[in-house]
Amino acid sequence: MLDSLRDASDASLVVAIGRWRQEALAEAFRRHAGAVFALARRVLGDAAPAEEIVQEVFLRLWNQPDKFDPDRGSLRSFLLAQAHGRAVDALRSEAARKRREDTEARMTATAAYDIEHEVMDLAMADRMKEAMAALPTDERRAIELAYYGGHTYRQVAVLLDQPEGTIKSRIRAGLGRLRDRLVSEGVGLGWQES
Amino acid sequence: MTHAEIQRLLGAYALDAVDGDEAEAVELHLRDCPRCRAEVNDHREVAALLAHAGTAAPAELWTRIASSLEEPPPGFQLARVTEVRPRRAVSVRVVAALSVAAAIVVGVLGVKVVQDGNRLDELGRPRPSQQLLAAANAALVDSAARRVTLLSPDKQLSVNAVLLPDGTGYLVTNNLPPAAAGDVYQLWALVGTSKISAGVLGARPSLVAFKVDAGVGALAISRERAPGSAGGPGELVAVGELRPQPA
Repeated sequence: MLDSLRDASDASLVVAIGRWRQEALAEAFRRHAGAVFALARRVLGDAAPAEEIVQEVFLRLWNQPDKFDPDRGSLRSFLLAQAHGRAVDALRSEAARKRREDTEARMTATAAYDIEHEVMDLAMADRMKEAMAALPTDERRAIELAYYGGHTYRQVAVLLDQPEGTIKSRIRAGLGRLRDRLVSEGVGLGWQES
Repeated sequence: MTHAEIQRLLGAYALDAVDGDEAEAVELHLRDCPRCRAEVNDHREVAALLAHAGTAAPAELWTRIASSLEEPPPGFQLARVTEVRPRRAVSVRVVAALSVAAAIVVGVLGVKVVQDGNRLDELGRPRPSQQLLAAANAALVDSAARRVTLLSPDKQLSVNAVLLPDGTGYLVTNNLPPAAAGDVYQLWALVGTSKISAGVLGARPSLVAFKVDAGVGALAISRERAPGSAGGPGELVAVGELRPQPA
C-alpha cells in the first residue's frame, strides 16, 4: 500500500486523504512538509512558529481535502500559499507590536533576505537561484522583500524608496520573467514527485 | 478598481503582499475573471519554486500531526426544510420517469451527470430517452446494485436511487416539489470527508443518471441558487447513506 502511494500523483493522494487514509497524508507530508517548513521559517525567522504553521496546514489538508483543486495548480503551491499567508499574518500582527524598534531590525532582516546566500542543495533550487539572479536587481529585491520578508508592496515601496505603483509592476513583471525563463528551460511549473 | 488596476496588483496579491481591502477587491474580481485567476495561479507556482529548499521538516512534527488527527468522518449535516412545502407525493415509476434538465461537472473526481434530452412533457418536465430508461431499469434489477433512499429530516420528502458497483447511479423516483424560482436542486456525493457535486438536477428533477466515485458513502440533495454551487452544498433537502458495497 505504501509503495503504491509513493507512486501516486498528488491529486490521487488528496483523494485518498479524503477517504481518511492517514498514510496518504504521511506521504504528502514526506513530499512537501520540508518546503512548507523552510518557507515558514524563512518568513518568520524562527523554527517554533514555523512548525506550528506546518501543523496547521497539514491538519487543514486532512480536514478539508476538498479545498485543493488540482485544476488550479500543484499541491505544493497550494500548501505553500497557505503557509505563506499564515506566516505573513503572524509576522504582521507581530510587526504591529514591535513597530517602534522596527528600523534597525528591518535593516538586518533585509540583508538576510538575499537568496544568493541561501544554502540550497537541489538542482531546482540552483535553477531558481540562477533565474532570480538573472532578474533585474530592482525586480529581484521587490520579490524577495515581499515573499521572504512578508512585506506588503506598500512597505516594500517605503523600504526601497520607490513609488508604490513601481513596486507593484516590478513584482508582477519579475514573476512573469521567472515564469518565462523556467518554461523556456522546460521546467514544469507544477511540482512533480521524482 | 478597474480590470487594469487589478491586473497590476496580481503579482503582489499572489505573494500575500497587498493589504486587506485591496486583497478583498482582488478576490472579488477573481471570482469572475478566469484570465486573472490563471495569472495568480501561475505566480503562485513560481513562488512555490522560490520556496524550494530541499530540506526536511523536523521528524517529530509528523508525530505531532498524526497524534492530533481526528478519525471519525463527519457526515452530512441535515438542514431544516421548512421552506419546502409538503406536497402530495408524486409517484413516478421509472417507465414514466423523466429526465434531467441540465447538468454541470464539478469536483475533483471528474464526477458528472449524464445529460439527456430536454424535451418537455405535459408536466413541464423533460422526458428521458429510451436509452436512459433502459439503463435505469437494468440497474434496478441488477443484483449487484445498491439501493438508497434519500430522506428529508421529517421523512416527507424522499428520493430513491440505485447505484451500480462502477459508480454509475440513477435517481429513479422522487417527490421533491419544484424548486422556487431561481433555485435548483443539486446532487452531492460524500466520499471520505469530501462533499463532491455529482451534478445540478434543475428545478424539477426526474430520472437522472450520474457517476460518482465507487467509494461514495452517502448521497445528498441540496437546494442552491441557479446555476448551482461550485463550492460546498448549501441547504440539504434530503440525505441517504449507502451501505458498504457487497464483497
